[in-house]
Amino acid sequence: MSPLALNPQAGPGPGVSTVATLRTTGDPPAERGRVRRLVPETGLQAAIWVLVTVCVLAPVVPLVYASVQSQPLYAPGRVFTLAAYRQLFTDPAFRTAALNTLEFAGLTTVGSLLLGGGFAVLCSRTDVPGRRVYSRLFIAPILLPPLGLILGWNALYGPGGYAHDFVTATLHIPLNLTSVPGMAVLGTAVAVPVVFLICQAALAGTDSALENSARSAGASPLRVLGRITVPMLRPALLNSGLLVFTLAFESLGIPLVLGSPEGHDLLASYLYNTWSNGFTPDPPVVSAGATVMLAAACLLLLLRTRLLGAQARFVSNGGRGAPAAAGVRLGTVPRWVLGALFGLYLAATTFAPIAALALTSLVTELTPLIAPWHLFTLGNWRTIGQGTLAHSILNTVEIAVVGAVLTCAVVALATAVAHRSGFRLRRSLPFIMLFPRAIPGIIIGIGFFWTFLLVNPPGSALRNSIWGIMLALSVRSLTIAYFVMSAAFATVGESLDHAARSGGASWWTAMTRITLPILRPALFVSFVLLFISILNDYDPALFLVTPGHEIMGVSMLDALQKGTTGPVAALAMVQVAITVVAIAAGRRLFAARIRGNRHA
Amino acid sequence: MPDITVAGLSKAFAQGRAQGQALSGVSFSVRDKEFLTLLGPSGCGKTTTLMSIAGFQRPDEGTISCGDRIFFDRAGQVDLAAEDRNLGMVFQSYAIWPHLTVFGNVAFPLKIRRMRRDAVRRRVLDVLELVELAGYAGRYPHELSGGQQQRVALARALVYSPAVLLLDEPFSSLDAKLRERARAWLKHLQGELGLTTLFVTHDQDEALSLSDRIVVMNAGEVLQVGGPEDIYHRPKTRFVAEFLGHCNILDARAVAATSAGSTELVLRANGNRLTVSGEDLAAGDQVQLAVRPEAIKLQDPAGGNSYPAEVRAVSFLGDHYLYELDLDGLALTATDTRSFAGPSVAVRIPPAACRVLPS
Repeated sequence: MSPLALNPQAGPGPGVSTVATLRTTGDPPAERGRVRRLVPETGLQAAIWVLVTVCVLAPVVPLVYASVQSQPLYAPGRVFTLAAYRQLFTDPAFRTAALNTLEFAGLTTVGSLLLGGGFAVLCSRTDVPGRRVYSRLFIAPILLPPLGLILGWNALYGPGGYAHDFVTATLHIPLNLTSVPGMAVLGTAVAVPVVFLICQAALAGTDSALENSARSAGASPLRVLGRITVPMLRPALLNSGLLVFTLAFESLGIPLVLGSPEGHDLLASYLYNTWSNGFTPDPPVVSAGATVMLAAACLLLLLRTRLLGAQARFVSNGGRGAPAAAGVRLGTVPRWVLGALFGLYLAATTFAPIAALALTSLVTELTPLIAPWHLFTLGNWRTIGQGTLAHSILNTVEIAVVGAVLTCAVVALATAVAHRSGFRLRRSLPFIMLFPRAIPGIIIGIGFFWTFLLVNPPGSALRNSIWGIMLALSVRSLTIAYFVMSAAFATVGESLDHAARSGGASWWTAMTRITLPILRPALFVSFVLLFISILNDYDPALFLVTPGHEIMGVSMLDALQKGTTGPVAALAMVQVAITVVAIAAGRRLFAARIRGNRHA
Repeated sequence: MPDITVAGLSKAFAQGRAQGQALSGVSFSVRDKEFLTLLGPSGCGKTTTLMSIAGFQRPDEGTISCGDRIFFDRAGQVDLAAEDRNLGMVFQSYAIWPHLTVFGNVAFPLKIRRMRRDAVRRRVLDVLELVELAGYAGRYPHELSGGQQQRVALARALVYSPAVLLLDEPFSSLDAKLRERARAWLKHLQGELGLTTLFVTHDQDEALSLSDRIVVMNAGEVLQVGGPEDIYHRPKTRFVAEFLGHCNILDARAVAATSAGSTELVLRANGNRLTVSGEDLAAGDQVQLAVRPEAIKLQDPAGGNSYPAEVRAVSFLGDHYLYELDLDGLALTATDTRSFAGPSVAVRIPPAACRVLPS
């Protein structure tokens, strides 16, 4: 099959019969294009752009509008006023909540940077025993249902928790989960995986020659660690620090479960409580507070983009080449001590809380005073098997499946418009799709609440079904899918769709028949991540649930406020179980890809 | 097959704050059944030109037409979509779709054209036979070698009888041996099928061996258009002379016209006298002469323009030797199949081998 087999001297080659075919085939298809055609693909691309833009801006615009009105949007006789802002800034509770939030976010950021950065360096540059397994386990909490983790911590370390007396009285650790620093301990545990992931990726991506050359220049491994490795981690630390601060800033679940009942509110829980317990329903002051929060979150996003943009110039490219020289040898004793500490940390922050949660779901009451097997019951599981709770499980799964499929499809097409089209406004799409990451979940909830009221139809239809909640949760999670898809598009050469275009395919055909089918693995990964994210999310839904259309997270918070812990624990275990199954299925198919994308 | 006409193509690019001209006033035409090559260094605008013809880039000015169909006309507001231009394109990376079999890849353009299923099948198998991949229809791209992938790309570009075949450096990812064979094969196929072909490359050997005509480009401009021999032997600019093969450039001043169309010049580097023939020069003209290394004769005293020279370095290149010579302060490279050991050698520059470059 060499090309030479058909050399000019060989006489009539094997292709002669086809020569005639190729020459004589009439070319009717050749003439099908019209000169100056009104390209329909532009209409299609515009439709996708409009859909995404409307969905992302829907929760924002009415919110800002509602914040400068004297009455809720449905009330008559509204006038423009800044009274809501005046009321907000003079409310001492708001000021306390704002200060608490700063303290909480600051402590969480510092704590998670120290632990996450430290774990990342130790796992990738030293010989701590079991560092590969630990590397995976440190990431685990990122995929677990956040509410489940919070409830597990509460069952274990909260006031009256199973291990509370052991920790405070026996170990003399003054842990009070309901205080702001106490909440920050849990916040740190939740945020460590984010820092760990980003730093680990940065360490894996740095050119090992940078460290190897320091070794050749005579520096000891420990010195290389301190003078080269850690300083080079600064951009990653800055990036993850800002990200953690933003995530901590919008925390709702932690204060709602832990601090709020004791009067320690953060901004998000302050807004939620004002909304649900105020004398007047749906007061404009909440919209004003949400707008202030949104502005702060946008500032943080802007800051992060600016700083990362400036840092990018200093990132060393490469990353191939020689493997990093053997890392730091810690010595037998420090090595095993560190290994044991890692295990202890994971047990205390992740496994024990989940175990406590599982135990709570199987007993009438979890208490250190009576052995759990005396209190064994399946009643909690029976409770969630019927009525509202059972209904909320079905609703949640339905929302997660449908929402993940639709979001996955829309984001895939929107990414195609953004990165593979000549559409005029394509460059705005990446920013639009990154934006939901900056909007605190609670704000998406309040925002859609107003939007559904203002834009009707389809507002009330969405409000009185689970689809409104699905829309809000989908918008919130959309950025995750964009991260996955944009990275995937970058790996597929543009010539692949150009080849389809010059072969006669339209933009739509080239995308749907060539490019997106090639990206099937990425589509699947983004579906799984969206499914998990929507399944475990609840912040926006707090404002959108209507009777008969509950979802798991909201039902759990409701039941918790009524003082029922057993069924809540059982529900949380259901969330954990579905999540673990989804991850296992996803991992099995596309092991490596899941890591790193969710909080990129 | 119709011909392609490109006229007055210009395109500015902005990279960061730097502004520049990717194309300025590029004009040429590809005649029916011709193999035309756009040749130039990377960044010269050859790929931008090809992508403009294919419809993947939009020029700022100019017109592109194929036969009587206008592809692009800035003034007339015409910009035909890439898929409506009916061109066959082979990409540098081949762009074989990894999720489809060889058959699926080649059949795709026909399916787009809503051809009947059995007709598609017959046609695809015919074309696969033509590119000598008859038994490979069911394979996936990763199961093919580089050369086979290239032929799949070619089959996919040919299967729907496009008006013109566009090739974007299709040999650059093949190794040297395979590249040579693929070249011969493509040239034969092109002649056999009478394909109008536009080829883009930075490889002068490829351009010289394949083309009916070559368009040499640099910095977004067309420098010279002509047949391979014409361009090689009669370069119009120093750039063309140096880009196609090696070339000695000698600065000289015309002294006087001698008999029978010969001119006597003085070399600037060493003051030696040199006679050139077949050039129209007036006394006092400052010129640059292009002399190919293989045109310079060593130890061959028959005729004028003979000088003694020192051998500075010799490189053995298999079928010939490359000599770096010093001719009284004038650096000169020459090639010869013979090996000369001596520290000095007699150099003769035949009058007909000197080409005056227009200044």
